[in-house]
Amino acid sequence: MMESESAMIELENIEKTYAAGTVTTPVLQAITFHVDRGEYVAIMGASGAGKSTLMNILGCLDKPTGGQYRLDRIDVVNLDDEELSHLRNEKIGFVFQQFHLLQRTTALKNVMLPLIYVEDYPDDAVERAESALAAVGLADRMTYRPGELSGGQQQRVAIARALVTDPEIILADEPTGNLDSRSGLEVLAIFQRLNRQGRTIVLVTHDEAVAEHAQRVIVLKDGTVAEDRRVSRPRDAEQETNQDEKGRA
Amino acid sequence: MRLSRMAAEGVQGLGINKLRTFFMMAGTIVGVAALVVIMAIGKGTEKRIMKRVRNFGPRAMMVIAGGGKDLPPPDMNVTTLTLEDAEAIRSQIDGLAIVSPMAWRFQMNVKHEANQYQAIVWGVEPSWHEAWQWYPAAGEGIADEDVATMARVCVIGRTIQRELFGDRDPTGERIYINNVALSVKGVLENRGSSPIGTDFDNKVILPITTAMRRVMNIDYVGAIRLITEDPKRMAEQAAAVRRLIHQRHRINPSEEDDFRIITADVIAQLARGTSRTLSLLLIVLAALSLTVGGVVLMNILLISVAERRPEIGLRRAVGATQRDIFVQFLTESLAVTVLGLALGSLLGLGLSVALPRLTPIQAIPSWEPLLLASACALLIGTFFGVQPARRAAKLHPVDALR
Repeated sequence: MMESESAMIELENIEKTYAAGTVTTPVLQAITFHVDRGEYVAIMGASGAGKSTLMNILGCLDKPTGGQYRLDRIDVVNLDDEELSHLRNEKIGFVFQQFHLLQRTTALKNVMLPLIYVEDYPDDAVERAESALAAVGLADRMTYRPGELSGGQQQRVAIARALVTDPEIILADEPTGNLDSRSGLEVLAIFQRLNRQGRTIVLVTHDEAVAEHAQRVIVLKDGTVAEDRRVSRPRDAEQETNQDEKGRA
Repeated sequence: MRLSRMAAEGVQGLGINKLRTFFMMAGTIVGVAALVVIMAIGKGTEKRIMKRVRNFGPRAMMVIAGGGKDLPPPDMNVTTLTLEDAEAIRSQIDGLAIVSPMAWRFQMNVKHEANQYQAIVWGVEPSWHEAWQWYPAAGEGIADEDVATMARVCVIGRTIQRELFGDRDPTGERIYINNVALSVKGVLENRGSSPIGTDFDNKVILPITTAMRRVMNIDYVGAIRLITEDPKRMAEQAAAVRRLIHQRHRINPSEEDDFRIITADVIAQLARGTSRTLSLLLIVLAALSLTVGGVVLMNILLISVAERRPEIGLRRAVGATQRDIFVQFLTESLAVTVLGLALGSLLGLGLSVALPRLTPIQAIPSWEPLLLASACALLIGTFFGVQPARRAAKLHPVDALR
């Protein structure tokens, strides 16, 4: 197996089985693929195909029961819980389907949350959070609480939170799943813009149309990689938004 | 510092659900308030004791006729304590500044013209004034020649003056007790009344000889007041007096005494007695509410941990270690108890100020109990906060986010 200089994610024969009593259920089997720095990859599959389990392993929230996983050339499998926590903080930005914002806290404070877990708390934490919010177009919503924001805006706050630590990779789990199509497109447009700026993005979805915004689609089926293909001409979310507006007018 | 950032997150947790925060604090508030009140009552009692001792005389002892009971009123039927006993004490016990016997009768009818009043009548020696530090405010006190000549004179308290003479000067006037005419020599200083309402000024004092032979017709005394020269020797002197009277009254060790000796120590013990029950009750209340409050705190925290699983999962995802989560939740528990401590202290101080105004209970608020209360509250916050904090920390991030 060649080690690629530009590999961000290297998965070799990843396995995950769940044991319930005497019955063991394999969820992932022999998953092998690489994601290069700067790539935008969508992981697709029907529900039960193992998407979430793979996502948790990629995000260092869970450990595989077999195989090798290197993230930015760090061997993740041998790290303990504390080292994994620091690794998540440093290298990964999460975006969830349910946003997971703290309800009684302003957008700005929500975005600052990952910074309090940085080993050396940055002096410019507020400025960083402000510029992250500006990057997702919410410069004028900093003091709003999640309840005062639309679903699309809440997800954009969550993206700003994922960006604030300047992570190597953004992991998005069904980020458009709770959004109307228009807000979903806005979110996808942000991801494409971030990717053009060089950010590595892994997006998990069951929706073919969403997956086609990525440069590459990996399809999971019954816990194995069924398909790994380049998207010759990815959809452009910004363009779609404009067409959508024209169509309405 | 990472630790203080986590602690700050915990403190912010208090604002999430204010009603729940209040319930978490309730036990601490009641417990701390009870502690503060206990200590205040203790201090109040101590002050009352000091006052009683001061009233009784810190250097005083009383030999009182009649055994058994600890406190006056004395047993009027016991006739065994005599002037000879007083003389024996005077000659055989050293280190006593004053030995002052007295005869007394309660509820004697005192008359002047058409006015009459029920008074306590004391037959005393001139040393009585010094022994009680109680001197005439007007006129003269009882003198040696009054005792020697069995003079028909008396000194009256302010109540008697008011009841028999109104605003008039009673000096030189004549009053009757048991049909014995007595000339008023003077009026005693005002002493007011005791906490239980005994009027100290409802009093007539006569020369002891006049009282025993002319008025009461008795050959025994009610009590002998002793003033020591050295308070440190009091216990030893009291024991010596007891031995002497045992011997004089021929009392075997197996028999009950026909007298008792009261010292400042006895007075202090008696005064302490009642408040001890109340303090014990409050200590039980404080211990109970702190323990029950701690268990309530723990259970609400456990519920809170279960409710906040997504938050915990998110924090783990963005980089919180198990320790960070543990510190956050333990701080939340501690912050609740510290807030409860503050509110409980205020409540306790308020009660300590209000109690003496609304009830006969003496209470003096002070800062010392806050130290004890702080220690208790922090102990509870830690003890009952560890389990929920540990549970929060041990949550698997994947399960928490689900």
